[in-house]
Amino acid sequence: MTVGSQGLARSRTPHPRRVSVAFLSDRVRYGLIGFLIVIPLWELVVRLGIVKRVTLSAPSIIANTAINDLLVNRELWPHLFQSSQQFFLGLGLALLTGVPLGLSLGLFRRLNYFLDPWLSAIYATPTIALVPIIVLVLGLGLESKIFIVWLEAIFVIVVSTMAGVRAAEARYLDLAKSFRASRWLTFTSVILPSSFPYILTALRLGTTRALVGVVVAEFFAANKGIGFFINFSGTTLRTDRVMLGVIILGLLGVLMGEGVRRLERRFERWRPEFN
Amino acid sequence: MQAGLALEARNVRMEYVDQATGERLLAVDRVDLDIEEGQFVSIVGPSGCGKSTFLKIVNGLFPATDGTIELRRPDHGVAHAMVFQDSSLFPWYTIVDNVAYGLVCQGVPRKEAQARAKPLIDLVSLTGFETKFPYQLSGGMQQRANLARALTVDPEILLMDEPFAALDAQTRELMQAELLRIWNEAHKTVLFITHQIDEAIYLSDRVIVMSARPGRILADIAIDLPRPRKLEIKRSPDFITYADQIWSLIATQLKSHLHEVQAKPGESVA
Repeated sequence: MTVGSQGLARSRTPHPRRVSVAFLSDRVRYGLIGFLIVIPLWELVVRLGIVKRVTLSAPSIIANTAINDLLVNRELWPHLFQSSQQFFLGLGLALLTGVPLGLSLGLFRRLNYFLDPWLSAIYATPTIALVPIIVLVLGLGLESKIFIVWLEAIFVIVVSTMAGVRAAEARYLDLAKSFRASRWLTFTSVILPSSFPYILTALRLGTTRALVGVVVAEFFAANKGIGFFINFSGTTLRTDRVMLGVIILGLLGVLMGEGVRRLERRFERWRPEFN
Repeated sequence: MQAGLALEARNVRMEYVDQATGERLLAVDRVDLDIEEGQFVSIVGPSGCGKSTFLKIVNGLFPATDGTIELRRPDHGVAHAMVFQDSSLFPWYTIVDNVAYGLVCQGVPRKEAQARAKPLIDLVSLTGFETKFPYQLSGGMQQRANLARALTVDPEILLMDEPFAALDAQTRELMQAELLRIWNEAHKTVLFITHQIDEAIYLSDRVIVMSARPGRILADIAIDLPRPRKLEIKRSPDFITYADQIWSLIATQLKSHLHEVQAKPGESVA
């Protein structure tokens, strides 16, 4: 039976995979065309002196700087290491606090009413405006930066997790009730699995926000990190390095997003691939 | 409660407030029903007649506004278990975990619950599908798992809420025959809700016909057909006589409902 079933499972895969490859190749094709038009044009605009090197730099210069800073003098690595540390600690803490908070807010109506005005108010405030206070309280060290990343990331995590709790279907709750499941079992067997896709979405949104948090933190109170690197390079008119930093951030964002998407696919094995 | 009865309902009423209009509506009215132990009883009626509501009251999902329902206190197992209309299998559980769920709810450790679920999985002919996830099963197989899940907790009375309504006609016929086979082996009292007249007659010892809303009992018809029943019995003259009798009862309900709607042209038909 097991063998037969695996055969069944395998025979299901080719179809969606073929679709996604066709999709990807189209994506790659048009994406490449975009690059092939924009990059030479950019290079040309700078070479012809239409735009100054200081304001826009040029692809060839940025590539050269990238090789230099990453491979020759390796100046970029300590910055990357510093930023990663803040990113992962901040995001990790945001998940550890945000997911339980979101679950509680979804489960307990009164707690929700109690905390909602505060959460909405802090959510509406740009984190950047709080930086001076955060630095005053937590100082210029790692703590303040982790706090800023945490603050940026936690709200989307709370909100998305909360939505997940609400997404638990009535028929599954009825079923649990019908079998007289305890509150705890109802939580672990119905509510938690129902909200799991939403928690992964929370992770994905949180990742993007945490990256923003890292840059915000390093722009204002740092002497290391990608954000600092960008800011410092800007003030010293090294536009090529600014661009390099921005490109690295962009790539990191894309990579993290893809990582979470893979995780989502892995954990949702109970769902048919295309509904 | 009388000896030999599995269920005794007296004067059951259910009122609810329509959330949209704020109107108080009567869903179930003055329902008296006795079900003997081991009997297979079906309730048929026009859609929206409150038959599912009545079942949910028995199951304890809704409170009755008035009246009493008594269930035989079991020597072992539980008083009742529900087979839901859509299979309501957890998509994140394998079949064996789904079937064992009722036992887990009672505090039975997972491994033991799985072991106790196994014979029921065999009974509903799902042997070999234990580790599959629900989406890998056909609709009919999902309903078998749904049935096994209810049987695992060893209920005195099995409550079935239109369990075959979503299946295609052929699968439904097969599932009806399967249900009779399982009922024969498991020896359970069954309260079965359906809007399909032939399904009710084929399965049941008694068919209860309910009126359009508010749901009242219009007739209680004993089905005197020999068991075990084959599917061919549906084409026998006796069977067709029963079907005609029940259909004419329901038809009058549908007609009076239609007149009611036509009499109030300003209102929306809901």
